[in-house]
Amino acid sequence: MAAISLKGVKKIYDNKVVAVHDFDLDIKDKEFVVFVGPSGCGKSTTLRMIAGLEDISEGTISIDGVVVNDLQPKDRDIAMVFQNYALYPHMTVYDNIAFSLRLKKVPEDEVYEKVTNAAEILGITQYLMRKPRALSGGQRQRVAIGRAMVRNSKVFLMDEPLSNLDAKLRNQMRAEIILLRQKLDTTFVYVTHDQTEAMTLGDRIVIMQDGYIEQVGTPTEVFDMPANKFVAEFIGAPKMNMIDTRLTRMGDSYMVSPFGVNLFVEGEKKNLLLKNDVQTQKITLGVRPEHMTLLPAPAPDAIPCTLQVNEMMGSELHLHAVTEDGSRLIARVPTLSLTLAQRESLKAGKTLYLTFDSRVMHFFGEDGVSLLSDADYRRQLEIKKENQKQEIIDALASSDKSYNEIMSFLLGTKK
Amino acid sequence: MSDVKVQKAMKQHMGLTASRRISNTAIYIVLTIMSVIWLIPFVCIVLQSFRVESTWQVGYVIPRQWGWDNYVNLAKTDFWRWYTNTFILAILTAALQTIIVLCMSYTLSRFRFKMRKPLMKLMLVLGLFPGMMTMIILYRVLADLGLTQKNSIPGLLLVYVASSGMGYYVSKGFFDTISKSLDEAARVDGANRFKVLVKIILPMSKPIVIYTVLTAFMGPWGDFVFARYISMGTSAGKNVAVGMYDWLSQDQIGKNYTMFCAGGVLVALPVTLLFLFLQRYYVEGVTNGAVKG
Repeated sequence: MAAISLKGVKKIYDNKVVAVHDFDLDIKDKEFVVFVGPSGCGKSTTLRMIAGLEDISEGTISIDGVVVNDLQPKDRDIAMVFQNYALYPHMTVYDNIAFSLRLKKVPEDEVYEKVTNAAEILGITQYLMRKPRALSGGQRQRVAIGRAMVRNSKVFLMDEPLSNLDAKLRNQMRAEIILLRQKLDTTFVYVTHDQTEAMTLGDRIVIMQDGYIEQVGTPTEVFDMPANKFVAEFIGAPKMNMIDTRLTRMGDSYMVSPFGVNLFVEGEKKNLLLKNDVQTQKITLGVRPEHMTLLPAPAPDAIPCTLQVNEMMGSELHLHAVTEDGSRLIARVPTLSLTLAQRESLKAGKTLYLTFDSRVMHFFGEDGVSLLSDADYRRQLEIKKENQKQEIIDALASSDKSYNEIMSFLLGTKK
Repeated sequence: MSDVKVQKAMKQHMGLTASRRISNTAIYIVLTIMSVIWLIPFVCIVLQSFRVESTWQVGYVIPRQWGWDNYVNLAKTDFWRWYTNTFILAILTAALQTIIVLCMSYTLSRFRFKMRKPLMKLMLVLGLFPGMMTMIILYRVLADLGLTQKNSIPGLLLVYVASSGMGYYVSKGFFDTISKSLDEAARVDGANRFKVLVKIILPMSKPIVIYTVLTAFMGPWGDFVFARYISMGTSAGKNVAVGMYDWLSQDQIGKNYTMFCAGGVLVALPVTLLFLFLQRYYVEGVTNGAVKG
């Protein structure tokens, strides 16, 4: 049971590659935080730094108020589940789960109790005497979770635990992790590249790209108020429609004109734009596919477009359409909102009329940052990125060349 | 399928088995001949060691009179002393060298430090120099330390063990194939690096540990040149190969030939037993199911 605090954490590899830039985050006690982002964004590296498997180049990580930078993984009181399970192949499932307890010299009858208890929760009791190679992927992952469970540690780290499982099993295990979390009631840090996992599991989501944090927030926050284009496109599937257009300010009212259709911005969104004192400018207008409304007939606020592909997903239809100027739009329409005849008429080549209201609009400036986010956030972001660029240039310039020169001289080799 | 086609397919099948049978037979014949050729010297030595009617070399293989005399006579010489010398030396070398090699391999496989690559290259280059080159200087060093002649056994131990870290290639290669996440999992589970090596890596590397022990044991067990050089003819400092060699000199061979054979059999015995006992680990693969798959 512990809070984790990361302050200015940075990871620079030997080859001067910066994997994580100035990572600041406070994880509250018993919180479930998910790091999400495309591969190579530094999410796993950050997790491994918390675990102590990677050195921290700069900054501090503290668990429960204690700075753990120089502590060995074994002294940090953490449990971790790996993507590839990392079960000890020469030990039975029982021995695998008991390994950490035996290292702590826990009496054998207590070990027995804990292991059987964990096995029961995970439903692997009948496999306790098997070796890992005789188990299926899902069972192995359960063993790996069991091994972490019995440690009763302050922090539970999970590095893409579900990505080696097939889709069906993944859904099932995801639900089980939610149940597990209720039972364990400890601090979780979970890494995934799958935004669905992030949205369903996390109390808070940390969205990362290229070693930078793009946004931290609850699933609702990152979904409703994405801080920039990257977050907007990353969260949600299919990804958000991005329309290059113009935002026009007329006194105290705003208007966008996607594909020549004039739409007024009303309500909360308008207030936020006014608060940020946004002027007339070129913008990217974002609308999620599920927020598109399909109109039966032409209307003044409808964008006409041609249906290209109709994907029947079961409960909903994904309509891929193309506008007159060649831009692509995707709309998600609930199957039940259409009659059978209407559904059957949705064939390639049919003209669709799509619209959306201002509640679902997202506005991104030319730098990709949301015009709805507060000005302070934007300023901070700019200063930070500028600083970091400079740091990289400095690091490259002063990189230690003498060592390489000496070694190539000694060995008579040149790189 | 028509009947013709079925017949054709069957013919093809028969042809396949027939050709396979022929090639198998050929392989077995070759293998049998080769093993007979390889075994002849050993069989001869074993038979000679039981010959009691004469002690010199004779023109036939099967003894006319059988007995244990040659083995009994060994006790009248320094044979058992040399044997013990060699045995202790080999056991100690095997133990120390295995520990050093495995630690070295684990370090080079898992740790990343600045001199890692240069060190590996350096050892590779040093390993290319023939060991004979170092004999004179090693002799001087050992002589200064007083570790020659009757003290040559500890001297030899020092020489055998000192450079053992350089034999890291095979086991490092094996350790590299073991997923690093196993180390990481164990470290998170509360193990330090040494425990990771002993409890996780080594149990998974049985074949390579056995290989390391065997090679470390065989080196001193069969060493002749260096051991002879260091012991300088002092019986107390000889190993079994050096000691027995003297029996083969011009004036001794007629008297000692069958005893030499008996000694040879006794020398071959522990190594043979070791191989018989340990060979099954060679083929045992244990890495299945470690990580995904």
